[in-house]
Order: sequence, then structure tokens, then C-alpha cells
Amino acid sequence: MDFFTAMDVSASAMSAERTRMNLISSNLANAHTTRTAEGGAYRRKDAVFTATPLAGGFRNALERAGGGVRKVAVSGIVEDPNPPRLQYDPKHPDADPQGFVGLPNVNVVEEMADMITATRAYEANVNAAQAAKNMALKTLELGR
Amino acid sequence: MLADKLFGSTLELLGKSIDLRARKHSMISGNLANAETPGYTPSTLDFEAELKHAVQTKKGKGNSTPPHPRHIPLKGQAAELEAVRGRVMEVPAGPAGRDGNGVELEAEMSRMMENQILYNASVQILAKKFEGLKTAIRDGR
Repeated sequence: MDFFTAMDVSASAMSAERTRMNLISSNLANAHTTRTAEGGAYRRKDAVFTATPLAGGFRNALERAGGGVRKVAVSGIVEDPNPPRLQYDPKHPDADPQGFVGLPNVNVVEEMADMITATRAYEANVNAAQAAKNMALKTLELGR
Repeated sequence: MLADKLFGSTLELLGKSIDLRARKHSMISGNLANAETPGYTPSTLDFEAELKHAVQTKKGKGNSTPPHPRHIPLKGQAAELEAVRGRVMEVPAGPAGRDGNGVELEAEMSRMMENQILYNASVQILAKKFEGLKTAIRDGR
């Protein structure tokens, strides 16, 4: 248990938030995509975060027993099960016989709000990592 | 022993305080990392009262060391500073959100600041202590 643990934990969160940010970008970029490799309209994607105990070491196992520090990991990427948004546009090449086009189930406003949350969470973790660094540097100044 | 007289218990106390605050920082980092994890309950390290108790009992009685740092001291035996490990406590924050996550970003940030300031204070006092000793060694020059 040292400062590198703290930095490790913060780094795990930063990479998780970055994954989320990538998915939000993907959702925004494909907000009007009607064709995908799987067929049909694009479906909104979201990351699933899971708290995971720190890996390795007997000492860490002891800490785990006491309910110690947990970092975060992206355990999976799920697709939004909501049905595609239907819009009447008979001239569209992907329109069904009734003239409806299935548009992605992406809500742009929701994505923007998610983006802000991800940014703030990322910033908080950068701050925590910086604090750990400053504390470690302060200790190195001892006896100067 | 000369070293004991020279450094006293302050050094030991400050070292322990720095150690525990570093651990507490790791716990806070873990909470911040899981600020978006569904079902996560934040936890913190509580050691202030335990540390205070250890200091007071040490002052009052002679320090009899338990044979192992993790042994519970017998009645009348001083709780050694060395044995203070702190307790990992789940923070009884406000109601968890819809996803069962109990992390409050503001509370964690303020806890982190407080911890950092107190850590820096301990380091500073330790540095001053060494500086004072150095001055004495150099005959006040």
C-alpha cells in the first residue's frame, strides 16, 4: 500500500472514463446511421463499470479481506435494448414497405449530459492522482 | 537509548500519521475511481481516535510491547503506536442514487483536500524537527 496504489486506482478510473467517452463519441457520430454490419440501425452503446479489488500479492489479499481499496474496470459494453426510433420518410433507401425508417435509439441530449459527467469524473481522478504525486514529492523533500 | 531521547515519540507518531494518511488517500482514490460504478458503497479509513488513544496510553504508562503487532494488548498494557492500523469503514453518506452508488463527489474531494493538508502538515513538522536537530548538531550555526 503506497502512493503507486493510489495512482494505479486513479489511472484505472481514467482509462474507464476514457472508454466511456469513446462510446459517447461513437453514439454521437452514429446518431443517424441506418446501416451497420449487424444489419439495421445503429444501437446506442454503453460501458458497464465494475469495482474490482487490486490484483496480486499476499498483502493485497489481506487488505481485500478488510474491505480495502478497489479500482474500477470496464467489464463489458452493452447495447441499448430500446427499439429504433421510427420516422416516416418513404424516399429513404432504408425505408420499410410502410415508408418508415428505423433511426438509431440515440438521444443526443442524453449523450451530451453523459459526456459532461464523464469529463467531470475524469477530472476528479486527475486531481486525485495529482494529489498523490504532490504528497509523494513533499515526502521526498524531507531532510533536504 | 540515545536515539530514543533524540527523536522521542514525536517522530514515531508523525511517521505513523503520514503512513495512515497515505493509506487513506488510496481509499479516497478508490472511491473517486468508482464514482460511476453501480452499487458501489464508498469506504474510508478511520484512525484518528485510535491514534489519539495510543498516544495517550503511551504517555500515561510505560510502553510494554505486545509480542506481535497484531495482538490485542492485554488490559493495562499500552496500545502501541505501531499497532495502530485504522479501521476501514463504509461511509454512511446520503441515500444512494438510482444505481445504488453512494459516492458523493464533493464530499470525497473535500475529504481528499483535508487529508492532503494534514499529510503535508505532518511532513512539515517532521522536516522542522530534523532541521532543529541539525541546528543543534551544528552548534547553532
